[in-house]
Amino acid sequence: MIKRVEINYRGIFQKNLGKKIGSDIVIIASRMGRIGFSNGRYSDSPERNGIPCKYFAFVSHDLSEEELEAECGAKLDIDQCDISVVLDDTMLKGVEPWGWHGVRPINEKVQPNGTLLVVTKRTPDELLEFIAKKPYSWKLATYSGDLSFGGLWVFRDDLTHEKTLGAVAGIDSDIIGIEAAEGYLRYKTPKEPARAEAARLAYEEVRKTVRTVKPGEGVEWKHEIPVLPKWFEFMEGAAVPAVKREFSLGPKGQSRNETFKRGTTKNQRPVVRFDLCTKCTLCWLECPDQCFDQTDDGLYDIAYEYCTGCNKCAQACPVKECIVMVDELQFTDDSSPWEAYKANPEKYTEWAEDRKSTGRYIHPMVTGTGLEFLEGELVPFGGKRASPKK
Amino acid sequence: MIAEEPKTKNVYEREDLLTGCQAVSQGVRLADVDVIAAYPIRPYTEVMDALSKIIADGELDAEYIIADSEHSQFEIVKHASSVNARAFAGSSGTGWCYGFEALVVTATDRLPVLFLVGNRALDDPGAFGVEHNDAMAVRDMGWLLAWVTTPQEALEHVLIGYRIAEDKRVRMPMALAMDGAFLTHSQHMVKIPTAEAVRQFLPPYDLGEGRLHPDNPISIAPQVNEDWVMELRRQNWDAARRARGVIKEAYREFNAVFGERYSSPFFTEFMTDDADTVLIGLGTVCAPGRTACKRLREKGHKVGFVSLRWFRPFPTIELRESLKRFKAVGVIDRDFAHGSPDDGGIVMHEVRSALYPLKNRPAITNIITGLGGRDVSIDDCIRMYEIAQKSKTEDKLDNFVTWIGVRE
Repeated sequence: MIKRVEINYRGIFQKNLGKKIGSDIVIIASRMGRIGFSNGRYSDSPERNGIPCKYFAFVSHDLSEEELEAECGAKLDIDQCDISVVLDDTMLKGVEPWGWHGVRPINEKVQPNGTLLVVTKRTPDELLEFIAKKPYSWKLATYSGDLSFGGLWVFRDDLTHEKTLGAVAGIDSDIIGIEAAEGYLRYKTPKEPARAEAARLAYEEVRKTVRTVKPGEGVEWKHEIPVLPKWFEFMEGAAVPAVKREFSLGPKGQSRNETFKRGTTKNQRPVVRFDLCTKCTLCWLECPDQCFDQTDDGLYDIAYEYCTGCNKCAQACPVKECIVMVDELQFTDDSSPWEAYKANPEKYTEWAEDRKSTGRYIHPMVTGTGLEFLEGELVPFGGKRASPKK
Repeated sequence: MIAEEPKTKNVYEREDLLTGCQAVSQGVRLADVDVIAAYPIRPYTEVMDALSKIIADGELDAEYIIADSEHSQFEIVKHASSVNARAFAGSSGTGWCYGFEALVVTATDRLPVLFLVGNRALDDPGAFGVEHNDAMAVRDMGWLLAWVTTPQEALEHVLIGYRIAEDKRVRMPMALAMDGAFLTHSQHMVKIPTAEAVRQFLPPYDLGEGRLHPDNPISIAPQVNEDWVMELRRQNWDAARRARGVIKEAYREFNAVFGERYSSPFFTEFMTDDADTVLIGLGTVCAPGRTACKRLREKGHKVGFVSLRWFRPFPTIELRESLKRFKAVGVIDRDFAHGSPDDGGIVMHEVRSALYPLKNRPAITNIITGLGGRDVSIDDCIRMYEIAQKSKTEDKLDNFVTWIGVRE
């Protein structure tokens, strides 16, 4: 018997969190007399900021370590898993870790009756609006928590690690038991009972939130999975044809790489108030991924499929409330915001303000900056002229 | 086979979850290394991360020098070794090749530094995954070269490696190779030996009259040209031959201190007693290889697996004696030797050459697989067994090499 746990995390920001969870599953399992080991999907490296990555933990009660290694460790990725942990709920929109991989459903590896385990503030029903349907039934469970980002390489010690251990125990005690998890946390940090308590709370929480997802429940997956060429079907000499540079005004005016869009890297996307825009060009200039397409009226459309959510445009924009970063799960598609604005400026603006709301969460991208909460401002359509940021 | 429990009590102080790289760092700590030179390249780098922490935590008193390139890195440890400092470095892939000039002279100067080679494809194109060609590059240069397959073996072979390399009869640098990702980055529970047990096994490094020191004035590597080089090569050739005996001795001693960890020093046989067909390979391919072997045994196939550990010196006699018992041998190469005889891989050529003097040789077939970090599954290994089994009766001359795992 083999139990496979997959831990989906955002590269660099959550690497140590992912690794700690994988390691501790193995240590707790081995304290229970089970055999285990942990590794990461090596091809994920080097981990660019925010890129979806995976860590794994494997546990068995009866196999030798070598057989477990042969079944799980000799492979780069797994075929299926008992539990797939998701450490950032915006990854539910799909994961594309590298070129020619395609945008894959987050629950791709969840086996029949396996569980997708998500740390989130949303309900399982809300999450199912983003997750691909499967031909068999599987389970979805949530435990509550904020996005655990600590900056580059930094482990943000906010109990997500302990909660995840408890949640895994709550879903499948054949992987780790909750008493063993609590015992280990108490042994490791005897003066910090909150750690074991957090594990217990998440353990109880997932047992309440877990629900069965019926075959066919979920969304139709629209992303194609690329088929790689055979050895004699491509250019020799380690050369790859580049995308021919083309440019015209309007949405999707620039030629772009169809085989690596990178949009699943973001957990926030920039929402633009075209009516406040002064056409200063800074967003277009600053964007490191050339996501802004100039339009014939001097505004800039955004190709969201290619946006990595880096926040540079929002930082560069000199106008208050004009470009604001918003949680990615507020959006169900990547259609052109400029087209929506042109079709109905008033309706678009109302929609944009509704998405933006007034809460601003700035996750630390740089070590030591910490999570910032700012109060934003509602700016109704036509109600106020563009004003500079202070 | 590997015995589970050591005979001697209290040779282990604790058990930790460690990657292959971290396990090597624990070996370096226990070997009480004096000088470490670091320069980063994936996948070996984690050993240097771990060592810098070990030193910062006060668990090892060593000079930790950050070099400006692999060439400097290897020169630093070479020179450190010449003044009787136990030295450690390592690299991967093209980084290892960048320092090649230094690697070659470390062997000629007979300085027993231990290097970790986290096997990595020689990019271009950009690739981090395992291929054995990087470490194989030193195979003819007077190096000791061995592959380990688990973090536990990795830790132990730092100790075994220093003991053999520093032995007066050997004095050769040691390349400890391990598969990138599959071992360097895989975390397993590892038993950490006590310092006392290590002291029993690994004597202090003593260069004796070869030590570069004002009290012992010598000059290393002067210009000698035609007058001396051939004799120096002859010394080195002899040392490599002597190393085989020293290796056997080292494993005997290791088993005496730590319990029966290793049944044979050079390679490990699995289910070979009555086998007619075996696969042989280096590195972590042994895990799917042995598991495939077990599955085929359940169906009545007489198959076995030979996990080759030592590549330099090559265990000619021992391997010849072992492999002559079988009807067919499938050699797994996680490397390439483009344009070589029969277009086979490096390991195949060595194994076939070792078998040549036999009157009745087993049928040999060659499998190239797992390049650039491509995974090798249990099913892939079952296919390899089928190919090797067929080679007993089929004329394989036209189809000697099979690529497994390539998109075709």
